[in-house]
Amino acid sequence: MTDGACATAPVVVCRDATKSFGKNQVLKGITLEVCKGDVLAIIGPSGGGKSTLLRCLTLLETMDGGSLSYGDVQVCADDGSGRAVYGGRDVIATAKTRFGLVFQDFNLFPHYTVLRNVADPLTSVHKVGRAEAEERGRALLAKMGLAGKEDMVPCELSGGQQQRVAIARALAMNPEVLYFDEPTSALDPELTREVLRVIRELAEEKMTMVIVTHEMSFARDVADKLIFMDGGQVVERGRAAEVINAPKHERTRAFLSGYE
Amino acid sequence: MRPQPSSCERGSILEFQVMMGLLGEGLLLTTQIFFVTLIGSLPLGVVVALCRMSRFAPLAWIAKLYISILRGTPLMLQLMAIMFGPYYLFGMQMGPDWKFWACDIGFILNYAAYFGEIYRSGIQSIPRGQYEAAQVLGYTRAQTFMKIVLPQVIKRILPAMGNEIITLVKDTSLAFVLGIGEMFSQAKALAAREVSMIPYAMAALIYWVFCLLIEFVLNRTEKRMDYYHD
Repeated sequence: MTDGACATAPVVVCRDATKSFGKNQVLKGITLEVCKGDVLAIIGPSGGGKSTLLRCLTLLETMDGGSLSYGDVQVCADDGSGRAVYGGRDVIATAKTRFGLVFQDFNLFPHYTVLRNVADPLTSVHKVGRAEAEERGRALLAKMGLAGKEDMVPCELSGGQQQRVAIARALAMNPEVLYFDEPTSALDPELTREVLRVIRELAEEKMTMVIVTHEMSFARDVADKLIFMDGGQVVERGRAAEVINAPKHERTRAFLSGYE
Repeated sequence: MRPQPSSCERGSILEFQVMMGLLGEGLLLTTQIFFVTLIGSLPLGVVVALCRMSRFAPLAWIAKLYISILRGTPLMLQLMAIMFGPYYLFGMQMGPDWKFWACDIGFILNYAAYFGEIYRSGIQSIPRGQYEAAQVLGYTRAQTFMKIVLPQVIKRILPAMGNEIITLVKDTSLAFVLGIGEMFSQAKALAAREVSMIPYAMAALIYWVFCLLIEFVLNRTEKRMDYYHD
């Protein structure tokens, strides 16, 4: 997956990403490519840099060094001295149309109804007409098993339902890749199952996804590829089932043994 | 036949009408100070809050000093400073209407400091995740503030704003130091003339009813925003 192994042009290419907070280097040169239709799982211990990597990929943080591109959109490039130089406002705005992000704690807009949470970004950001946006919103909510909940507000829903609204909201923008930052960490096992079922269905539809997760059996079953990160580096990568069933590195083995 | 009221009784009824008339005139000025202050200080408070939170340090520092002085000195003194400052500092002769201007300016500047701090507390209480979700979805900074942050801020600061607005009703009485005949000044003059506490009691009652109306509006607004919690 680092050697141009995608059948078609990769959706995301990130090379040698580095990021420090003060003296603490959180990312020490991360390279990854995501192919169209692939599901990539990122696992690893807390503080290993998974979330920071996701925040850099979704432009919530700027990386210090390295390069990042979404298809033909070069978000940032190495200037030769190892510093990442970001594109202008237009480039960033275009790049943001290429991905969606599902947060650990949903981050729905509490004052909007469920339907408006999904439709408002379409009308406000993508200038889609209101009727069309609401139609798309209803369809996505129905797909998420939330038909009939359109006029409720997020606080009236369970955590699992809220997270499914958040997934619908991200999907509404027709992203080429959908990122998940520990999407079930705030949920109990039952609600976790219903959210994972939705993600699994998206995987069957060949939605390109990058999922930071602690759900190992889910990662093994649903992800095509997997990255194990620790200490700001990729320790091991490969096919998801292979890495989880037969990890090669001692560190990966030690980490995974905690999940048996 | 109905007995004629004694001249004494008729006099007291007349006096009551005169008293209410004078208090009513005062109430008009009180109401005017109240609304002008709100119209000026509610938006100016936004500017104060934004400056206070600015990443440009000198601006934040100036806003901090502004808030500190206006909250840290008596409003009565501030009114007097604005009233007499132009003359004592610059030798400027202000017209007879200046006291009304001084009053409005003083109230607006003072309340903007308080409102600014309430806005800031509200804005800073909105979780980072709300900004991040909006950012990832592609909302501009202005959209994020107007559509996502501000409506939530209003709900959160409503009780604190209510407090401040009700305080303002009663603070208008401080305008008496500028010789503005608002309701408290009228009550004071009436009380002195009639050697009676009744005008004060009536004024108190009117202030209270004024505040009751505001409470009613605030309660309705709170109820209307009660459709969600976070």
